[in-house]
Amino acid sequence: MERLITRLTAKYVIFTAAFAIRLALVAYGDYQDRTMVVKYTDIDYHVFTDAARFITEGESPYNRSTYRYTPLLAWMLTPNIHLSMMFGKILFIVCDVMSGLLIYRILRLRGLNSETARRVCALWLLNPLPMGVSSRGNAESILAALVLGTLLCMEARHLIWAAVLYGLSVHMKIYPITYALPIALALRTTRSEDIKRWRWRSFIGFTGSFLNRELFLFASVAGGVFCMLTALFFYMYGWEFLHETYLYHLTRRDIRHNFSPYFYMLYLTADSRWSQWLGLAAFLPQLILLLVASWAFHSDLPFCCFLHTAVFVSFNKVCTSQYFLWYLCLLPLIIPHLSLSVKQGVGLLILWFTGQGIWLGPAYFLEFEGYNTFLLIWLAGLLFLIINSFILIQIVTHYKPTRTPQRLKFE
Amino acid sequence: MTGNDENHCGLLKRLLESSRVSVEINKKGFHREAVTTVELSPDVLSGVRVLLVHRWPRGVYLDPYQLASLSDESDWRILLDSAIDLELPAHKTSGFVTYVYPTVDGPTPRLLKVTIPVHGRYHEPSYDGKTFTSVDIEAPELLLRTEKCTQLSIFEPHAVVDTPCTADNSSTCSWVKLQHQQVPLGASSPSSPVTFLGTSSPSSAHEHTRASC
Repeated sequence: MERLITRLTAKYVIFTAAFAIRLALVAYGDYQDRTMVVKYTDIDYHVFTDAARFITEGESPYNRSTYRYTPLLAWMLTPNIHLSMMFGKILFIVCDVMSGLLIYRILRLRGLNSETARRVCALWLLNPLPMGVSSRGNAESILAALVLGTLLCMEARHLIWAAVLYGLSVHMKIYPITYALPIALALRTTRSEDIKRWRWRSFIGFTGSFLNRELFLFASVAGGVFCMLTALFFYMYGWEFLHETYLYHLTRRDIRHNFSPYFYMLYLTADSRWSQWLGLAAFLPQLILLLVASWAFHSDLPFCCFLHTAVFVSFNKVCTSQYFLWYLCLLPLIIPHLSLSVKQGVGLLILWFTGQGIWLGPAYFLEFEGYNTFLLIWLAGLLFLIINSFILIQIVTHYKPTRTPQRLKFE
Repeated sequence: MTGNDENHCGLLKRLLESSRVSVEINKKGFHREAVTTVELSPDVLSGVRVLLVHRWPRGVYLDPYQLASLSDESDWRILLDSAIDLELPAHKTSGFVTYVYPTVDGPTPRLLKVTIPVHGRYHEPSYDGKTFTSVDIEAPELLLRTEKCTQLSIFEPHAVVDTPCTADNSSTCSWVKLQHQQVPLGASSPSSPVTFLGTSSPSSAHEHTRASC
């Protein structure tokens, strides 16, 4: 068994195999779409392609209703129209495998040996979830590659590249903006003194530590990339671009059932005076937890980013299974440092899947059988939130920070 | 020529008198199918075109993109009278009208079946303990037309309406509308109106739930 695993995870075998399996899935998906009633390809892929078609006709991609992404994505997928419908899917699986490669490089930089690093990478490369998501035509792998690229450049101290990739990732989806706080905390000038008592001097010293060359460089490059892209697309597509890409996601109040227990509150209070305030109030638990996580763990950036995204997704007003990929791509980075046994790890995984299963039951009965299971769905959503919180607590308490021999060299 | 015209008009009149249209809603939950059946009797008239006009209530919606991909695989075409927002709850929308043109590529058969996927909207939550609400879907209006009979005024009391000739909405033609809904005999299937069970939620039991969120 041990030798089989070693053979399977030999350096080029694993990446080639990962790509080949995904390619096969794309081919199978094409076959299923053509022959069966239930389609393999996700509806989102058709939305992207329709938007790309509008672009090739010289119009705005937002003519396609429910296209709520950056125009950059539709522009990247214009070869779907000129070359082949499969181009987008190939792009997504390439980004997917590249994410695996980035995970491998980050693990190596953090001090793991090649063998262990490849085994951990296999958790992403041979994982059916990202395989399925990318081959079905969802664009999550692009963002995973951008976020992992940012983290790799931060680990290797290539700040300008990190800032460029970070600005690009925030442009594509809003959630990486939460990484700004731990990145800022990580880049500020660290002092060896402990802040034992709050005094004005230590407070000024604290704020002053943010004013250093590296942080300034990072902020201006990332901010510059983001603003340039926003200005460009605003010039091309106007307010509709701003609304669909950003404002919609910030003010989104999805009253239809999803994993988040907030859905029921939003549904019941949709027409009340307080619905705006309730929506804003729902941000508070997320915000507080993110602040605490940033302060406690900013020294280990991949772990902090993982916690950030996991908290953000779990406590969000809308939660669908697509969002899970946002933090699952960071999980391989922290697994080597968890002191959980394999049994405990698998137990947590089963618990996580059980939570989803318990939700899917009543949701199926509501949507496809017409029973009124709203209360059950809401309870299942609460249970899932509790399970997620428990898993996160287990991860935090069993985490051993890395010794980072590389970082000592820079200091 | 006039004789032939009269012949065609006479046949059209007989079609109007004995043809039947009915609708059945299949499946359960929020995603259903409206199966419309048209029986042309006593005999199909060559050159006659059929148009089904569905007036949908606000509680349901059709997915234009799903319809477009279905159109590729079937022989009917559909025209919507307004843009459809797929995500709004029922009380924030109004009903809409669709025009279905069956068998666009060939002659009209005696028995027509058109299946349209229908989706339920979320409704306003209830405050009186009701856990379900009904959405009523009526059978569509059956409109007939033939090139060979142009004096449509003779078909009183069946109304004459001007509606698009085809699904691309490029021109308008005069159609004759079947005046009343025929109820099929026998107890096999319901006709009109058909109740479609939507859902809303009981709120009285959840007043405290709302507060604790």
